[in-house]
Amino acid sequence: MKKPKTPELNRRQFLMNGAVAVTALTAVGLGANYLKKLNVENSKSLLRPPGAVNEDEFIYACIKCGLCVQICPVNAIKLATIKDGLSYGTPYIDPRAQACDFSCDALQCIETCPTSALDFIPFKTAGEEAFIAYNKANPNIGKDYNPIAIQSKAMKANTTMGLAVINLDTCFAAKGKGFKGSPREDGFDGVYRSPNPKRKERKASLVNDHAFNRDICDLCVTECPIGETAIIMENNGNIMTPKVLDACTGCGVCVMVCPSSEDTIVIDKLKTV
Amino acid sequence: MKFKKLEPIPAKRREEMPNSKLGITFKEWKAKKPNKNKWRNKRWAVLLFFNFLFWTSFAFHIGILEGSFSGSRFIGIYLMDPYNAMQEMLIANRTGYYAMLTTNFFIGFFVILMFYFLLGGRTFCSWLCPYHFLAENAEKLHNYLVKKKKIKEHSYNIGIKYIFWVGFLLLAFFTKILVFETINPVGIISRAIIYGPGLLLLWVVALLLFEIVYSKRFWCRYVCPIGVTYSALKKVSPVSVKFDLDKCGHCKDCQDVCLVPHELWFVKRGEATKEVHFTGADCTNCGLCVDICYGDALSLTIKGFDKIT
Repeated sequence: MKKPKTPELNRRQFLMNGAVAVTALTAVGLGANYLKKLNVENSKSLLRPPGAVNEDEFIYACIKCGLCVQICPVNAIKLATIKDGLSYGTPYIDPRAQACDFSCDALQCIETCPTSALDFIPFKTAGEEAFIAYNKANPNIGKDYNPIAIQSKAMKANTTMGLAVINLDTCFAAKGKGFKGSPREDGFDGVYRSPNPKRKERKASLVNDHAFNRDICDLCVTECPIGETAIIMENNGNIMTPKVLDACTGCGVCVMVCPSSEDTIVIDKLKTV
Repeated sequence: MKFKKLEPIPAKRREEMPNSKLGITFKEWKAKKPNKNKWRNKRWAVLLFFNFLFWTSFAFHIGILEGSFSGSRFIGIYLMDPYNAMQEMLIANRTGYYAMLTTNFFIGFFVILMFYFLLGGRTFCSWLCPYHFLAENAEKLHNYLVKKKKIKEHSYNIGIKYIFWVGFLLLAFFTKILVFETINPVGIISRAIIYGPGLLLLWVVALLLFEIVYSKRFWCRYVCPIGVTYSALKKVSPVSVKFDLDKCGHCKDCQDVCLVPHELWFVKRGEATKEVHFTGADCTNCGLCVDICYGDALSLTIKGFDKIT
């Protein structure tokens, strides 16, 4: 690399090259701004990990380090590809392939996020409040004293990733059909922690390791990690159909275990009850 | 940037320069330095090791070095890419999101500043950056093509990287997107290594092709704001390349291999103003000049101590 001979020529070179640089920067900036507008539509389809801030904040808050991807014990979180435009490299969950089943108990992805793109503060507050409330209700520390579970439950319940929306056209229960066997196709490797209290093992296990036998299919209701505050079977005319309630966190376990087709249950990010 | 405050030391005659290239044969010259790639080999080993460690940590759940180059956690200690962190703080300040930035964010930011202050600023570039590794090898191809007269060399003003540095910060501030991170080849390659390759690698390939056929080390020299951020630390850092005028033969071989030859301005005959010089802010401590110097006039040192062996 040869430097110009005189300071004057050097300055001239700097100004000329600098003008090109400024033009390039402007072009990049305008391009990014254009992509951002497109992205508002695009990113609606991306289900963010628990605790994610609003999409317009998320796009700058996330530095795309992938720490949440690495900490997730069930590998639910993936990084978006170039298909998602400006959201490239940001985390999302594909609940049909692997849902967030809360089996880490502590919402590790939120705790690990250094830039609060997954914001921990609401969970911390919810957990602390539950802890204080439990201590008030149980002043005597006995054998049953277990605030950790209460705290953890309160934190989970505080999650709002989205809301499950059930399409009754393809739902087995709406047709009055039952279900037998493993819920998903052969070779499916999604895991979840079954909330069924009869099961002694509380670790996450393969979805297909569980065999069900139901007269009326109600897997989305029985396998929900939140429980009956989130989804119930409701008498709809003369048949029982699942109904989503306002405690639904949008974790997507029901989407994963649904033995019907792919679009029977979807998580809607924006909908609230 | 060079500011000549002192008068240059008068040039010595050739007979007084022990390491002059003139007057000896190529064979004798070559015999003076048997191990030509000492620092390069060490550096590549470190670079590949850490990039590999990122990958193994995730692939085998070892958890020693988690995350990627834009933000990571090394045995539990957070590390943040300082340029990313600065953009983040700028946007946060504007949108009121500031209160939400975590303690870990600030720990990561200051730990990395401290770390690279101790290690010599742009040391990151040559000792860790995965793009540097690719570009360094692409540079060899470029040099070959230039030598064969297939292509012409194009160079620009080295100062335009400061325009890019300010520019990308302003872009982040006004568009409220981390614009630089979306086109940052360091992050793209790092994520490709750890989480699997994606189509955006084509952008990196395009950059490398541009560097091969048009302008040598274009991204590292003229654009990369991460390097500029670290170069500010290099300015005050104790780790540097030391130059002894006594041992120099003024062959300028070092400038040929250097990523930032203007930092070695003092090797030209009759330019040096002091007996001992240290390289400036843009130097990446890569050690290529140390390797090529046949008279051991250049050495990697910690200022105030003897040279690092």
